[in-house]
Amino acid sequence: MSFLLPLTFLLPLAGTLLLSLSRGRLGERASAAIGTASVGLSALATAALIAGYLEAPERQVVTLWTWVSVGDFQPTLGLALDGLSLTLLGVITGVGLLIHLFAAWYMRGESGITRFYAYMNLFVFSMVLLVLGDNLLLLFLGWEGVGLCSYLLIGYYYRTAANGWAAFKAFIVTRVGDVFLAIGLFLLFRELGTLNIAQLLERAPQLWAEGAPTVELAALLLLGGALGKSAQLPLHTWLADAMAGPTPVSALIHAATMVTAGVYLIARMHELFLLAPDVLLLTGVIGALTLLAAGFAALAQTDIKRVLAYSTMSQIGYMFLALGAGAFDAAIFHLMTHAFFKALLFLSAGAVIVSCHHEQDMRRLGGLWRKLPLAYAGFVVGGAALAALPLVTAGFYSKDEILWQALAAGHGGLLVAGLVGAFLTSIYTLRLIIKTFHGEAKSDNARHAEAGQGLAHGVPLIVLMVLSTFLGAWLTPPLAGVLPDPHEGSAGWHTALEIVASLVALGGLALAAWLFLRRRKWLAEQTSQGWGARLWRWWHHAWGFDTAYDRGLVRPYWRTVHALRSDRVDGLFGLVAIMVRMTHLGLSWTQTGKLRFYGLSMVGGATLVILVLALVR
Amino acid sequence: MTYLIALLPLILVCATAVAVMLGIAWQRHHASTVLTAVVGLNLALLSLVAVHQVAPFETLLVAVDGLAIFGAVLVLVSTLACATLAHAYLEHYRGPREEFYLLLLCAAAGGLVLVSSRHMATLFFGLELLSMPLYGMLAYAFHERRSLEAGIKYLVLSAAATAFLLFGMALAYAQTGRLDLAGLTAGLGEGGGAWGLAGAGLILVGLGFKLSLVPFHLWTPDVYEGGPGPAATFLASASKVAVVIVLLRLVIESPAFAHVGVHQILAVLAFASMLIGNLLALTQANLKRLLGYSSIAHFGYLLVALVVAEGLAVETAAVYLVMYVVTTLGAFGVVTLVSSRDISGDAAALHHYRGLFWRRPYLTAVLTVALLSLAGIPFTAGFIGKFYIVALGVEAGRWWLVGGLIVGSAIGLYYYLRVMVTLYLVEPGMQRHDAPHDWGTRAGGVVVLGLAALVVLLGVYPTPIIEWAAALGVAHG
Repeated sequence: MSFLLPLTFLLPLAGTLLLSLSRGRLGERASAAIGTASVGLSALATAALIAGYLEAPERQVVTLWTWVSVGDFQPTLGLALDGLSLTLLGVITGVGLLIHLFAAWYMRGESGITRFYAYMNLFVFSMVLLVLGDNLLLLFLGWEGVGLCSYLLIGYYYRTAANGWAAFKAFIVTRVGDVFLAIGLFLLFRELGTLNIAQLLERAPQLWAEGAPTVELAALLLLGGALGKSAQLPLHTWLADAMAGPTPVSALIHAATMVTAGVYLIARMHELFLLAPDVLLLTGVIGALTLLAAGFAALAQTDIKRVLAYSTMSQIGYMFLALGAGAFDAAIFHLMTHAFFKALLFLSAGAVIVSCHHEQDMRRLGGLWRKLPLAYAGFVVGGAALAALPLVTAGFYSKDEILWQALAAGHGGLLVAGLVGAFLTSIYTLRLIIKTFHGEAKSDNARHAEAGQGLAHGVPLIVLMVLSTFLGAWLTPPLAGVLPDPHEGSAGWHTALEIVASLVALGGLALAAWLFLRRRKWLAEQTSQGWGARLWRWWHHAWGFDTAYDRGLVRPYWRTVHALRSDRVDGLFGLVAIMVRMTHLGLSWTQTGKLRFYGLSMVGGATLVILVLALVR
Repeated sequence: MTYLIALLPLILVCATAVAVMLGIAWQRHHASTVLTAVVGLNLALLSLVAVHQVAPFETLLVAVDGLAIFGAVLVLVSTLACATLAHAYLEHYRGPREEFYLLLLCAAAGGLVLVSSRHMATLFFGLELLSMPLYGMLAYAFHERRSLEAGIKYLVLSAAATAFLLFGMALAYAQTGRLDLAGLTAGLGEGGGAWGLAGAGLILVGLGFKLSLVPFHLWTPDVYEGGPGPAATFLASASKVAVVIVLLRLVIESPAFAHVGVHQILAVLAFASMLIGNLLALTQANLKRLLGYSSIAHFGYLLVALVVAEGLAVETAAVYLVMYVVTTLGAFGVVTLVSSRDISGDAAALHHYRGLFWRRPYLTAVLTVALLSLAGIPFTAGFIGKFYIVALGVEAGRWWLVGGLIVGSAIGLYYYLRVMVTLYLVEPGMQRHDAPHDWGTRAGGVVVLGLAALVVLLGVYPTPIIEWAAALGVAHG
């Protein structure tokens, strides 16, 4: 069985190589077939691994080889498979396969489809490496790999300058987090002398008491990396702009997998975080703040994909909240269900966008529910799961688990934030569906919508729909023994909370239905003048973080750069280059091409050698 | 019988040389000559498996130990690559083509003698057998002024270097009355004695010339630039490997070379080679010259292992050699293939390579990988080699050398990247000096592609090389 484990990432790598070495000679169909098949085979290998794991749930470690071995530094290319990485692996390859398949429909007729699939396969390769690596170095390699693919795919339509800038922004903002992560790794290696995760987690409690400053710092640095990758406050600004990429990319990278890498990192290193209770609490608080901030921002968006982007941030906020409450398994469970229903929502959004001739502004859509029944069904099922409609949806079970764990751990504040967030979620979800599918069509693009055809369009949507219902919640991640057991609490309180949460979700839906169906005019008036308009604008721009960063960081940076352009200090550094160049010119003079000079230099050298030997004696 | 098996590679290569010579006398035919040479070299390579069974094996003149087998593999592989490249290169040559392989095989035989030599006589014999055919190979395109110039320059300077070498040997003999390494070791004792030490210094001069260490480096760019592609490739790979192996043996075994002064000289040579080699390459506009300068720097790096000469030194040197040889063969291979269409004036000027990517993407990819590896970027073979050198230097506390290595690498990055950028520039309307269209299916193309794959593979999975290098046995006399 151990050969299956490397196959899960080698197959996508083979796909990437095949596609990129084809020199563009492959047609659209062949590219899509290779790209999808490689992930499909990887998913098959994963399925076999899951079957094997369910039979004998043991941690497997496959050390392929030691990269270099010098002294203490012996980074291995080792893979570790346990319940946690298996869950992630299943999500990456399973959901990844569906999205690759859907992309074959979505990307029809686009130029550079080979490039698209080459990047997508490279992404799957890096992401699998990230979750399977048994040491932080390999994890970091995958971490940077997915960042690169994210950059490449956001900027996929590179002919539009704005897309290039969006890709830049995503890359640079996540890089800020990555720097923290890298420093965290250096710190861990210096203190513990290893980067192997198992050894690390074994040595950490021996070396550090709970709450020791060093371990708090290390955990804080890792958290910094997680915040950047998972688009949490304050490093969240890149995700909404990242929607410039093709929609399948948003579904795979910016909803289902890459952005949850931060959650994975913290869950993987949870023993370290348990030693740093302050940082763990901070994680929860950041999650709570993000889920609220992003929830409000999602209320005031007009672009379908941006609504979904803010909703993703908000849902990952829930996962961080769960991590902060010490409910690691609830976070991973929500990660899984979220991957299903958010991928479904994004793919349905993709179906709408393509059907409506690349119109994604909700103000120009509407009245689509008859014309695009499958996309509509996808939105309804996915939206229900997102809003955690009681009992029938997957989202209900995972979100309920998070709220219950927050209560059981005694984090009242986090619980309240979670409930408010759930209320907001219901409102913006229903708003999204009503604006997109109901009312009358508001533009020609919407009036002439053509429903998608074919298996590549239908199958992924239907499979994800099934997974977004309570059936998806039956897939319990095999996390026992990997993550700490959930908190126990009285069953009575649990039931009470379930009822409250259900009421909140339903209340949100009712309010949204009332607002967006009955009181539409009043709402439009309120948001177009006075305080309402200001609030709208504020939320529309997601609390103005972009402006603040622009004024506070980007512009001063540009100004500094500008001021330093003709700077003396810079001249000092330029001096090095000039000196190197001068030395080069001076030395080039020795290359006379004259044989007698060459001979002379040899004699000179030999004389020096003899002199040194005579003197050193 | 053991004698025969231990010397089987040498015998096979010599027999192939004879066969090639007879073949030429009987009837000239390019393809069959190449075939004979390649088959002979492959057989020699295979015979090393048998040699491995009888190793270590020693006589007064040669020591067939792990190090010798290691060197023999590198020499034979380099020669094979050169033979394949020469086939592509000489295809369009108008003069006699077949003699090139004769020279190549003789030089390879010299390299084989050299890597296993443990006696001054075999050292000298091997070195000369290696160098003599090289004069011919470098001046092979003798109607071409630069090629002739390269041959003559190498001939004269090499003769001078040999004179130093011989004088050094004579001095060592004067001190000890012995010429075998074991005898020298016994005779010189701790510290070496005045004559022995002077002899060691002069031997160092002779070998330093072959390795083009500063200040004996001036010939390198001229010869690399002027010589035909395959000859320069051989000079940069097989010839240098053999000399490094012999130097390694001397440094490890001979007490005269363990003297503080000699170590200091080695350190200075290493430091100067790293910096000056890289500095000279800075604005070089000719790719072959640039590779020449870069090889000066690379042997400066390698010399760090010889300066330290303890602990992991042999392993480090061996790992570095493998990585260097694979990379250099790849880089020179591409240059040879690009210039193979027309032997008059090798296409080495950098502007010939402008926008090569848009015409020959695979070939450019190979060259890019090779350059990245030369620059020591992670996940290429070059990184592993450089990493070992740095680790060894740090372990031994040779901070000056490590500093020089880092500064040198930084300078190196500049000119390697400069070449890489050139490869990808879009330049409409420049269509000169291309590789032939079907280059990829030909043996030469296959060789460079394989080398590029190997560079990446060894960068990711260096374990076999590291294990091999760690297990190298050196026979102590």
